[in-house]
Amino acid sequence: MVGVLADTGAGAASRGDLVVEGLCFGYDETPVLEDVSIAVPAGTVATLLGPSGCGKTTLLRLIAGLERPRRGAVYAGGEALSTPRRVRPPEKRRVGMVFQEGALFPHLNVAANVAFGLPRAGRAGAVAEALALVGLAGLEERAPASLSGGQRQRVALARALAPGPDALLLDEPFASLDPSLRVDLRAEVSALLQRLAITTVFVTHDQENAFVMGTQVIVMREGRVLQSAPPDELYDRPANPWVASFVGEANLVAGRSDGEGAETIAGRVPLARPAPAACEVLLRPEHLVLDRGGPWRIERTEFYGHDTRYQLRDEDGRALTVRAAGAPRHRDGDRASVRYLGPPTVAFEAS
Amino acid sequence: MPRARAAFAAVARVADLRGPPWLWAVSLPVAALFAVPVIYLVARNVTEGSETLAILFSRRTAEPLLNTLTLALAVSAASALTGTLLAWLTMRTDLPLRGFWRILCPLPLVLPSFVAAAALLAAFSPGGLVEEVLRPLGLDAPARIRGFWGSFLVLTAVCYPYVYLPAAARLGGLPPALEEASRLLGRGGLATFRRVVWPQTRGAVQAGALLVFLYVVSDFGVVQLLGYPTLSTSIFANRLFDAPLSFALGLILAVAALAVAGVERTAARRSLAGLAPAGTRGRRLALGPWKAPAALAVLVAVGAGLIAPVTVLAWWAFRGLAGEGGGLDPGALGGPARNTVLVAVITAAATVAAVLPLANLTGRHGGRAAGALHAVVAGSFAVPGLLIALAVVFLTLRAPGLGFLYQSLPLLIFACAVHFGVQALRGAEVGVATVDRRLEEAARTLGAGRLRRLLRVELPLMAPALAAGGGLVLLSTMKELPATLLASPVGFETLATRIWNANADGFLADVGLAGLVLVAVSGALTWLLVIRNSEHLR
Repeated sequence: MVGVLADTGAGAASRGDLVVEGLCFGYDETPVLEDVSIAVPAGTVATLLGPSGCGKTTLLRLIAGLERPRRGAVYAGGEALSTPRRVRPPEKRRVGMVFQEGALFPHLNVAANVAFGLPRAGRAGAVAEALALVGLAGLEERAPASLSGGQRQRVALARALAPGPDALLLDEPFASLDPSLRVDLRAEVSALLQRLAITTVFVTHDQENAFVMGTQVIVMREGRVLQSAPPDELYDRPANPWVASFVGEANLVAGRSDGEGAETIAGRVPLARPAPAACEVLLRPEHLVLDRGGPWRIERTEFYGHDTRYQLRDEDGRALTVRAAGAPRHRDGDRASVRYLGPPTVAFEAS
Repeated sequence: MPRARAAFAAVARVADLRGPPWLWAVSLPVAALFAVPVIYLVARNVTEGSETLAILFSRRTAEPLLNTLTLALAVSAASALTGTLLAWLTMRTDLPLRGFWRILCPLPLVLPSFVAAAALLAAFSPGGLVEEVLRPLGLDAPARIRGFWGSFLVLTAVCYPYVYLPAAARLGGLPPALEEASRLLGRGGLATFRRVVWPQTRGAVQAGALLVFLYVVSDFGVVQLLGYPTLSTSIFANRLFDAPLSFALGLILAVAALAVAGVERTAARRSLAGLAPAGTRGRRLALGPWKAPAALAVLVAVGAGLIAPVTVLAWWAFRGLAGEGGGLDPGALGGPARNTVLVAVITAAATVAAVLPLANLTGRHGGRAAGALHAVVAGSFAVPGLLIALAVVFLTLRAPGLGFLYQSLPLLIFACAVHFGVQALRGAEVGVATVDRRLEEAARTLGAGRLRRLLRVELPLMAPALAAGGGLVLLSTMKELPATLLASPVGFETLATRIWNANADGFLADVGLAGLVLVAVSGALTWLLVIRNSEHLR
């Protein structure tokens, strides 16, 4: 029996971790990646999150072997894929990849696309199995051009999974799909990857995708890894102000820390870790509660359906954003006061 | 190895070589082969100390040079006018039977020009169609049309499609909003054509007219048959007894052709900016009372370029098959037909294979050095086939160790491959561009090595474009006369040389039948490769 599908679960441990050590790429004067190290435990999904041009796709291509690193190493399952001495070509890596637009071979039908990476023996069975896995059984004879965007990405996934790779790389596979389809397919793929327990790196610039898909989220900016943590930790305890704002809406307000907590314009706030006395405290808008009357004036109200977003300003010109579930309960121009009602948060050294 | 790699990197940066070293290692020798004929042409002029300048200003040169230029300019202008007018009538007016004319108008392309000239001569020869038609009316056949006017008529009749095709595509695709905007801004029909339609169409007409110019400059068959002395007939006549003169004239001809091609390319690049993207069909003008004259004009053009010559050929072929004038053995055409197909197919396949690495560099990696490679190959297309054949024939005759190639089949194939290489190169470049980089990468991540990627991904994807490019080479090689006359082995007959020799010997029935076969084969190919895919039929 060929393929990852045969040894679901049992094979996960033997496939091992995916490790990137001190990877550098690009010229010295214009580095694309600088000293990037990540570790993806076997059988888990790591998402690479960052703005466009941060080097996340380059990192993916380096893991696949499609680019040559200047320094650093890549290991999968304890095997060296790329070291300073020897860079293994992509065709010898057993690393599967799903490209942004699928990159299906247009001259081959669905079955032939999926069979491309398989040895001759047992091909038909493995193709059928892979297609069933992504819910496309029966479409074997179709041409890629006749498929919808979502179907194309499913075929691409089946094609990458069929040879039973040691690791799977996904490069923004949902970017070209329309939003409702994206949510469904994301849930489906996420469940599938969990079931197969295949070590996966998923690149996205969309915070929602990153959080939903990833056991671990790796935030990148300008060729460096800024933080690598489970989604909830990343959201509640970001490593620096930039990450705090990048993974969600953030108020960064001046505060005075005493170790346990900090005094801010929203009152006393509990801290998850010690901070310097003069600091900037992260207040997520949905952790703030609005009460009638007080020092703040409501400048603007935006109703989103599931919640309402208020923009506040005080007499000194400081701004604050608050989110509350449900329909607006205040109007523009109303006075209000603000309270913190959330988990212990973090504070950064005042800039 | 690291040192070699570093050295290559340094050279590559200076010369703007982009792409992998091995590709350059393959491509440079191929490009060098393409440059051989022109380099030899120049070298011969230098080493022989042949007085190129003296010859240029001598009376012996002045007349043929002037004739060549006069004819080329006259035919280009007439073709531009005819082609544009027909394009406008069939694409932008309510001419009756437009769809039918759109297919017929480019068809004179299928007629090799020397066959058309032979047909013109045959029509007026004793016992020809003209006499047969006029005699019952009690009229004598008029004198044959020869010399300048004969050449002008024949060449214009078969060359105007070079203008028609691009002009029709352009006129058909011009977005109607442009003209509507012009009308709303208060311009009349004529002003709109002059200020909006023509500026958008001019580039296409110019490009077509350049092809006509190059075609006429390099034409040998028509002017030789119709007795109009040009550079190419002088070169052909003097090649054996006054080779230095031939080479000097050849250099002048090559320089003239390359200069015109270069000037046009530069102008075209500039005028390409500011062109509206193609849209839906443009507005259509009602011809009103001009409908009949317009239809007549189209009929005359297509009649002269296609219907009349084919009718004449068929007439002689029919007479021959009916047993008049010594009888005609159709079986005797089998050999030449086989040879024609053999040469053309091998040339096409070899050319496509040769230009593939070049296309990879020019189509995928770009850069100035790759642009230079493209220019070398394209330049050989502007240089007349007569000269390329002349150069390679003399080269094999003179160069030590190459004698075995003299007047051999490989030499003929080489001459045609060099001359028509750019047609295959353009096709291959399109093919390379259709292979998305990521497909190759996807194949790599699925474990496919270089050979498997080439066979399973790249070649299948490029196949249609490669076939189209190779098909054009096939077509051109079949129709090529002077190179075949000069470079083919003794006693090796193709359809083209058969027609040529039969005409010289006065076997008009042979001319008719061989001409019909050649026209039929080239017609099928032209339809498949050129006309069917033309934008103006979409």
